[in-house]
Amino acid sequence: MTAATSAMVPLAFDHVSHWYGDVVAVNDVSAVVEPGITGLLGPNGAGKTTLLQLAAGLMGPSGGTVRVFGETPVRNPEIFRQVALVPEREALPGMLSARAFVEARATLLGLRNPRAAATAALEMVEMDTVADRAVSGFSKGMRQRTKLAAALVQQPRLVLLDEPFNGLDPRQRLHMMQLLEARAAEGTAVLLSSHILEEIEGVASRILVMLAGRLAASGDHRTLRRMMTDRPHTVRIRASNVRALASQLVVEPAVSGVDMDGADALHVRTTDYTAFSRLLVRAAKRGDVTLFDVQPTDESLEHVFAYLVQR
Amino acid sequence: MAAHSASASGGVAAYGPVSYPRTALVLMRLAWARTGSPLLILGVLAVLCLPVLFSLIFASRGALSGDPIDFLLARYDTIVAGLATPLIALLLGTSAFSAETDDGTLLYLVTTTTPRWWIVTARLLFAALLTGVLTSLSVFAAGFVAVGLSNPEGIVSAYTVAVFYGGVTYASLFTMLALLTRRSLVVGLVYVLFWEGALSETFQAIQYLSVRKWMTAIAEPMIAGGGDASGPSAAYALVAAAVVVAVTVFVGGRRLHEPRMGRIGS
Repeated sequence: MTAATSAMVPLAFDHVSHWYGDVVAVNDVSAVVEPGITGLLGPNGAGKTTLLQLAAGLMGPSGGTVRVFGETPVRNPEIFRQVALVPEREALPGMLSARAFVEARATLLGLRNPRAAATAALEMVEMDTVADRAVSGFSKGMRQRTKLAAALVQQPRLVLLDEPFNGLDPRQRLHMMQLLEARAAEGTAVLLSSHILEEIEGVASRILVMLAGRLAASGDHRTLRRMMTDRPHTVRIRASNVRALASQLVVEPAVSGVDMDGADALHVRTTDYTAFSRLLVRAAKRGDVTLFDVQPTDESLEHVFAYLVQR
Repeated sequence: MAAHSASASGGVAAYGPVSYPRTALVLMRLAWARTGSPLLILGVLAVLCLPVLFSLIFASRGALSGDPIDFLLARYDTIVAGLATPLIALLLGTSAFSAETDDGTLLYLVTTTTPRWWIVTARLLFAALLTGVLTSLSVFAAGFVAVGLSNPEGIVSAYTVAVFYGGVTYASLFTMLALLTRRSLVVGLVYVLFWEGALSETFQAIQYLSVRKWMTAIAEPMIAGGGDASGPSAAYALVAAAVVVAVTVFVGGRRLHEPRMGRIGS
C-alpha cells in the first residue's frame, strides 16, 4: 500500500497483537476498516475493547502496526481531529449539563466555535431539549446519546463505538442506527462493537468476528449467518418414545450421531440444521412418536464463535 | 494530516489553534465538577479550621500562652506547612484525576487534541491555586485570632507567600501521584504523615527532600530578624519546586498519552 493510498484508509490493523502481562488480549489481527459501518462482533472478553483502544492510540500494540489515515495513532493527539471513541462505560461528569460537557469536549478538541458545534451535535442526537439539565439525572439512553454527541461534535471521519446500543430502547436504537447510517453515507468510517449479532447485522455492511483475541471470521452479515447456520448443531429432543425416534433418525444422512439422555430425551447431532428440522417431523410420524420439546443446545454466541474459530 | 482539510474548511466543526486559556478554564471546570463533593469540601474546611482552633486556644489563655511570635512560628511550621497545606493539596490534587481514572471519564480528556502536558499543567494550577488561596485564608485567620492585624515581624505575610509556594509544590507531587497510582490518596496520606510529619523533623538530611522545610525556607527570609541558617535556603527551595513541577508535567504528560486503559474500558 503506498503512502497516498494508506492515508485514505481510515483504519488498518496489520498483524496486531496486544497483551497485558501474560494475558493475550488481541492476537495477530489484520483487518481494514473502510468508510461505511463495520461491526466488531464477539463475546465479552474477546478483545473488542482493546482493539478499539489500539485504534484510538490510547495504547500501543505489543506487536504489529495500527494505522489511522496512514498515521500511527499512539502518542499522536492530532488524530482526534479525525477520530472519536465512544466508550462502553456510561459515566459522565455528573455536575455538568449535557451542553456544558459537549462544549467542553469541543473546546478541548480545538474547535473555533465550541458552542455552535455542541448545539449542532446535541440536536443531531435529539438531546437539544434536555441539553441544559445535569447529566447526573439522565437515563442510560440519554447518557449514551450525550456520549455520542460528545464524539460527533468535531464531525470525525472515523468513529469507534464500544457497545453503543447498551441501554437503548428500540426507538432510541433505531435512531442511533439511522444516525450512524447517515454518517456512513457521508463517508465516515464507523467501527462499532457488540456481542449481539442481531444488534449489528442490520446496520453493519461488514462484520469482523473476534474470539479470544483472534479475528475468527469476517464478511457481510449474510455470509456470517450462512456460516453460523451451516455448522454442526446439537439438538436435545424430548419425545414419547425416544428409542423409536432414535432408530428413525440414525439412518438419515443429515444426522451424524444420536445419544440417549435418560428415558425420555436424546441428543441428536446434525450437519444440516435446515434439512434436520424438516426430516425430524417426518421421522416422528413414521415412528408414531409424539415430540414434547426440541431445543438446540449450542446456540450461545460462544458456541457459534468457537465453531467459526475451528473452521 | 491531509484529511483535516474537510473539517478545517469551515462550519461548526472548523478547527482553530489550541487556546491555552480556554482549555485551561475547561479543564479546571471539569476538575471542579469532580472535586466539589460535599464530603471533600467538609474535609478541606476541617483541615483549614485546625490552625484557627489552635489560635483560639492560644488567645483564650491570654498571657499564659507565652510569646505570640513563637506560637505563630511553631503552628505555621507544624500545622500549616506540615499538615494543612499538604492535606488540602492532596485532596485537591488527586481527586479529579483519580475519580476520572476510576470511572473512565479520563477518556474524554485524552481523546482530544489538547497537548497532554497542558492537561497536567492546568490540573496542577487548579489544585495549586485553590490550595494557596484556601490555606492563606487559614494563615490569615489564625494570625488574626492570635495577634490581631499586627502581623508581628511579618510572620503572617511571610507564611501567606509560603503557602502559595507550598500549594504549587505539593499540588505537583500529588497530581503526579494521582496519575501514577490508583491508591494516590493512601500513598499521599502516608507521605504527609510520616515523611513530612515525622521523618523531616527527625533526620537533618531529609530537610532537603521535605516540602515542609522548603516552605519554611521560603518564609524565613521574609520574617524580620532572620531565620534559621541551617537547612535548605530559599534559592534551593525555589529550584527544587521548579524541578518537581517540571517532572510532574513531563511524567504526567507521558502517562496521559497511554493512561491505564484497563480502568478506562469496560
